[in-house]
Amino acid sequence: MTNATIFVVIALLGLFAFVAVRQRSVALVSGATDQLHSLPRYHGYYAAVVVSLPSLLVLLLWVTTGKLIVENLILSGLPQETVAANAERIDLLINRIRLVAENGSAIETDETILSAATRFNSLYQQGVAATLALAVGIAAAGYFYATNKVGRKFRARARYEQVLLVLLAVSSFVAIGITIGIVASLIFESLRFFQQVPIAEFVFGLKWSPQTALRVDQIAAEGSFGAVPLFAGTFLISFVAMCVAGPIGLLSAIYLTQYAGPALRGFAKPLLEILAGIPTVVYGFFAALTVAPMLRNHGAVFGLDVASESALAAGLVMGIMIIPFVSSLSDDAITAVPDSMKQGSLALGATPAETIARVIIPAALPGIISSFLLAISRAVGETMIVVMAAGMRPNLTANPLEAVTTVTVQIVALLTGDQEFNSAKTLSAFALGLALFLTTLVFNIFALRLVRRYRQVYE
Amino acid sequence: MNAVVEPLMATESKPKMSIRDVHVRYGDVHAVKGINLDLYSDKVTALIGPSGCGKSTLLRCLNRMNDTISDCEVRGQIYLDGKDVYASDIDVVQLRARVGMVFQKPNPFPKSIYDNVAYGPRIHGLATDRDALDEIVEASLEKAGLWHEVKDRLDHLGTALSGGQQQRLCIARAIAVNPEVILMDEPCSSLDPIATAKVEALIDELSGRYAIVIVTHSMQQAARVSQKTVFFHLGEMIEYGDTTQIFTAPQQEQTRDYITGRIG
Repeated sequence: MTNATIFVVIALLGLFAFVAVRQRSVALVSGATDQLHSLPRYHGYYAAVVVSLPSLLVLLLWVTTGKLIVENLILSGLPQETVAANAERIDLLINRIRLVAENGSAIETDETILSAATRFNSLYQQGVAATLALAVGIAAAGYFYATNKVGRKFRARARYEQVLLVLLAVSSFVAIGITIGIVASLIFESLRFFQQVPIAEFVFGLKWSPQTALRVDQIAAEGSFGAVPLFAGTFLISFVAMCVAGPIGLLSAIYLTQYAGPALRGFAKPLLEILAGIPTVVYGFFAALTVAPMLRNHGAVFGLDVASESALAAGLVMGIMIIPFVSSLSDDAITAVPDSMKQGSLALGATPAETIARVIIPAALPGIISSFLLAISRAVGETMIVVMAAGMRPNLTANPLEAVTTVTVQIVALLTGDQEFNSAKTLSAFALGLALFLTTLVFNIFALRLVRRYRQVYE
Repeated sequence: MNAVVEPLMATESKPKMSIRDVHVRYGDVHAVKGINLDLYSDKVTALIGPSGCGKSTLLRCLNRMNDTISDCEVRGQIYLDGKDVYASDIDVVQLRARVGMVFQKPNPFPKSIYDNVAYGPRIHGLATDRDALDEIVEASLEKAGLWHEVKDRLDHLGTALSGGQQQRLCIARAIAVNPEVILMDEPCSSLDPIATAKVEALIDELSGRYAIVIVTHSMQQAARVSQKTVFFHLGEMIEYGDTTQIFTAPQQEQTRDYITGRIG
C-alpha cells in the first residue's frame, strides 16, 4: 500500500459523499427541489469538501513528515555503540539504512543496518496504514456531519463558497510564501558568505578569483571575492545589448504604430514577438558558433584583435533577443497616447515626423523608458547566451572586443561540479544571486513606477 | 495658377473657400453627396443637421484631415482663395497652417500652457527669437480670452486646466499660427453651460478676423454665433442661407422639422 492508494481512496470517498448527499437532499423534499435553500448539487459539493479536505490534510502531513518521524524512531532504536561510532556522520548512517530499505541489500553487509532497514520498512508501512485509517475515520465523521446538515434551510451554497474562498486565498499565499522563502534563503546564505568574506571586499573588490582550499591541508590560493569585474562584464554586455535593442525596438514600434498599415502590422507584430519565444540556448549557440567567429574574422580585416569569446558577440545576440521586450512594450505605450493628440498636432500643420518627435514620443516617454528598464533587467539576468558566448575569465574592461565574464556565468561555474557546501566559493554564488536580484529589482521597481504614473495621466 | 471660381450668390463678396460638387466615401458608405458651398472671411458659418449627416466629414475635408483615414475618398474641388486644396502640388502642411482646427474634445498636449501655444509657431518658424515667441503666445492667449486666467502659470500643464479653459487653450493654439480659416467641430459639446457661453463669446469676438466654420448640434448655438447656416440631411445639403432666415423662415419642410425638433 502506498500514499497514492490513500489519495485514491479519499477521492473515491469524496465522490461517494457527493452522490449520496445529493440524493439525500433530493429525497428529503421528495423531488421538490425548490423547497431547498440550496440546489441539490451544492449539498453534494459541500459534503464532498467536508469529507475529503480534512483527510487530504492528514495525508499531506504524513507525506511531508512521515519519513522524518520513522527515521527518528529508527535512530532511537539503534544500539548505542553504532550511534557512537557514527556520531560525526549520522546523516550518512541514515542514508545507508534508507538505501537498503528502498533498494534492497545488494551490497550492504552490516547486520545492524540490515535489521534497521527491515524495521524502517515495517514502521513505514504501519505509518501508511495508520494514515489510511485516520483519513477514512475523519472522512466518515465528515460524512455523518454533512448528512445531518442536509435540510431545507441549510445554506450549502454559501458554505461551499466560503470553502472555495479559503482555497483560493491559500493558493495565492502559497505562491507569495514560496517567493519570500527563496529570497530569505538567498539572504541567509549570503549572510553566511559575508561572515567569511567582508562585504566591502565583495562590493568594491576588483579581483574575482574564487579558488579556495577545499581541505585544511590543501595548498591553494587565498581566493578573492571582488564582484566588480563581474558586474562590469554584465553591464558591458547589457549595454551592447541595449545599443542593439533600444534603437531597433523603439524605431520598429514607431513604424508599426504610426506608419504601417493594418495588414503589415497584423503580420509583423506577432512575427517580432516570436523572437521572444526562441529558446535562449539557440541564441547561445548562434552567438558562439556564428556571430563570434564572424566578428573575429571581420575584425582581423580591419586589424582589430577580437577575442573569440567577445562581449560584443554575446551583447549583439542578446540585443536581438530583447528587441521584442522593447518593441512590444513601447508599442503599447505609443498606442496608449490618445489619437486626439496626434490629430491636434497634424491640424496645426505639423508633419507626421514632427508629430511623433514632439508630441507622441514625449507623451509615451514614461512607458518607453520603462520598456527599456525591463529589457535591461532581462539582459542583466540572462544566463544561457553568456554562458555559451561570453568568457569565463573575470576581466575589468570597457573594451567590448575582449572576453568578459558575467555574474550569471560565474554562478553557473561556481555551482557546477562537486562542491563543498560550506566553502566561501559555493556561498559566494548566493551573494552574487542576491546582488543580481537586487539589481533587477531596482530596475523593475523603477519601470513599474513609471508605468503607473503614466497611466494616471490618460485614464 | 488660380482658377476663377464663380461665387454661388452674385450679391455676396468674394468667398474665402469654395466647395464644388464634393463627394466623400468611406469604403461603401457615401457620406457626403455633391455639396456646393461658399465660406466667407468675415462670417461664421454653422453646419447643422442630425448625427451622421456628413457635416463633420465635410468640415474635415477643408483642411484635409480626412487624409489620415485610410479608406476615405474625396471627389470634387475645394478652393482656398481660388486654389484647389486637393491639387497634387498643394503642401498639406501649409494648408493646415492656413486652415486651423478645433476639436470636439479639448486636446491640449501634455506640455506647459506656454509650449502648447508655442507649438505651432515653433514648427513653422514664425518667431525668430524668444521675445517674438513670447509676444505671439501672449497675443494668442489674449485673443482667446485666456491670458488673464493663466498669465501667472504659463509653465503649468495645459492638461491640468478645466475643460472650458482647455478648449480656449486649443483655440489659442490654433490662432497662434495665424490661420485664415478656423474649423470648429462641435467645440462646446463636452463643456458645461458657463464654459460654453465663454467659448461662444470668443467665437463672436473672433468672427470678422477669420473665416469660421462651426459644426454644432445645438440650434441655439448656431443661431447665436453664426451669420450663415447650412442644414444637412443624410449627406445632402438641404438648405443654405442667412442664419436669421433659416431660423425664422426656412424654405424647406425638412429644415423646419429639424429646427423645431421634429426630426433629428
